[in-house]
Amino acid sequence: MAVLAPPPEPVVAAATGGNPQGWRRRLSGRRTRFGLLNATPVVIYLLVLFIYPIFSTLLLSLKGEDGGFTLHWYADALSGTNLDILLITLRISAETSAISLVIGFLLAYWITRLRPIWAGLVMLVVVVPHFISALVRTYGWIILLGDHGLVNETLLALHVPGAPFQLLYNELGVVIGTTSVMLPYAVLLLYAVMRGVDRGLMAAAASMGAGRLVSFFRVYLPLVAPGLVNAGILSFILCLGYYLTPALMGGPKQTMVASLIDEQVMKNNQWNGASALGVILLLLTFAGLLLLRLVKSMSEAAKNRGAA
Amino acid sequence: MKDTRIDRRLFLRGLGAVAATSALAACGSGTSRSAGNSGGTSSKTLVVRNSGGAYGDANMKALYEPFMKETGIEIKVVNANYAQMLAQIKQGRPQFDLIDNSMIDFVKFTKEDATQQIDYDRLKNAKNADIAKNLLTPTAVGKNYWGSVMAHRTDAFGGRKPSSWADFWDTKALQGNRGLQHVDADIPELEFALLADGVPLDKLYPLDLDRAFKKLDEIKGSVKKYWDTGALPGVLLGRREVDVSTVWHGRLNDLIKQGQPLAYVFQGARRQSNGWAIPKGAGNVDAAYQLVDYSLRPEVQAHFAEIYPMAPVVPAAYKDMKDEVSANLLGSPKNLETGFDADVEWWVANDDVVTKRWQEWARV
Repeated sequence: MAVLAPPPEPVVAAATGGNPQGWRRRLSGRRTRFGLLNATPVVIYLLVLFIYPIFSTLLLSLKGEDGGFTLHWYADALSGTNLDILLITLRISAETSAISLVIGFLLAYWITRLRPIWAGLVMLVVVVPHFISALVRTYGWIILLGDHGLVNETLLALHVPGAPFQLLYNELGVVIGTTSVMLPYAVLLLYAVMRGVDRGLMAAAASMGAGRLVSFFRVYLPLVAPGLVNAGILSFILCLGYYLTPALMGGPKQTMVASLIDEQVMKNNQWNGASALGVILLLLTFAGLLLLRLVKSMSEAAKNRGAA
Repeated sequence: MKDTRIDRRLFLRGLGAVAATSALAACGSGTSRSAGNSGGTSSKTLVVRNSGGAYGDANMKALYEPFMKETGIEIKVVNANYAQMLAQIKQGRPQFDLIDNSMIDFVKFTKEDATQQIDYDRLKNAKNADIAKNLLTPTAVGKNYWGSVMAHRTDAFGGRKPSSWADFWDTKALQGNRGLQHVDADIPELEFALLADGVPLDKLYPLDLDRAFKKLDEIKGSVKKYWDTGALPGVLLGRREVDVSTVWHGRLNDLIKQGQPLAYVFQGARRQSNGWAIPKGAGNVDAAYQLVDYSLRPEVQAHFAEIYPMAPVVPAAYKDMKDEVSANLLGSPKNLETGFDADVEWWVANDDVVTKRWQEWARV
């Protein structure tokens, strides 16, 4: 929580000009009071269903077996196999977000160049598989990626050296699975940004003698950079807590933190340890969001410098 | 026991909703039940708990319907889970009179003092019927065998067929991928490792954990997938992802019927059983005993096995069966000899420790 709290403050300070009197004046307005009244249900809702559970999780993670305060569960979560699982989770998430970005970028770029009707159709193809039950999708993956699956059979027929490759029940299998899940998010975010890019700018760059590569790297990429940062960090964060695909498409070595939490609660009845892991996951998510904010403010500062 | 991972997960996600509905259901049926009692009709209604799904359907067809026809007692079915049942029994007024569940859960119920002592004088079909002693416990009566067996592709290993757990472990002679059950699905398969290491069938328990995990180390490199849902071994074997795997017996029957080259191996099969128990506070104990007794009739047992791949516990049920039918049932006289019963008491006492150790073993 503490991590998230600081960023909004500068914004508020900027809005009120850092003047405490401005705050008071605003609060005394009838409209504001009415607005606050309207906000009460939401505030209560959040307090009861969001803040309270998170704080009780936090307390649970700090409670020793004798009821006293302890950091034992965090030490436990950050050592031995549990630490390995945390690092594996981070690695798989990083790989997933990197690959989602690359494929998502190409896909979104291609979609922006299609006619709207085709673009809609392609978006549908990207998104629809996620409405299918996870179990059916897993069997689909087995048919596609198994030792005798479509991919390996094709590679064998083409006499690709090294085939058949093991594409399931290892880290590769998990990353393929999680990437397919995160891809729609990446595509949707990038597509929205790319649609807003004025193609005339590329033409202008070309007219001034820039080659295709130069205009891509120096004009197009900076324009879609905010979308790239958003999409990358979003898929990273989503992947951190992801659960089903790693369990279905990985082996026991690809256990991710969410599965570990499930095991601790459902199998070992170990709520304190699970809470500590949950809090760590939450902090990692906040760290990701913080990073997002930092990158944004940095790029804005750079832009301002450029304008000056 | 056969709940899949995903089912559990959905359950976890909808925990709030489930809790709310079960509370409502408990209230609703509680009142309807007491109304029924005051109306004096309760002796004509028996509420049975089972786990639902295909198993529930098979019970309805092979057991409940003929029973209702014969006795005029109406059977109602509920699908409460372990925690819900326990909570209702503890409150003193369970909405069910009879529980159909795995014997391993009944050990837990007995520890919680939630089930009644069985009066075996009221079960004439259990007397001298030669039912295995471990299925006639003070608080529960076994009903159908199920269990874990080995299954393999008949076209793998160049025509050689694995016939024992030692063969399953022999990755040099029988090269190919293996499948083992994940600890999330059920109690882990340590017994198979011990059998492969030469422990005799009747000397398995208490399990030698160090020896079992050491033996499991040997095969780890050949295990392609630890399956966590009952349907997965069939898919893995069918797609040639693995050549030999453990599987819950019965799960491949349809694939074999369709002509897939798959076969079970009954040598060293681990049997478990579903059974009956009467909760404390049950409203219609008489009818409960009637149904339990009815379910142990040899012809009823045999009929159930035709509909659902669980095996009769009453030996007489196999008498009029064709050999090829009884050969495919875990409780047939021949398969009883080559397999063993999971010691559910031992597992309930040691499940936590073994589960934790298995998880750590699998991850390294």
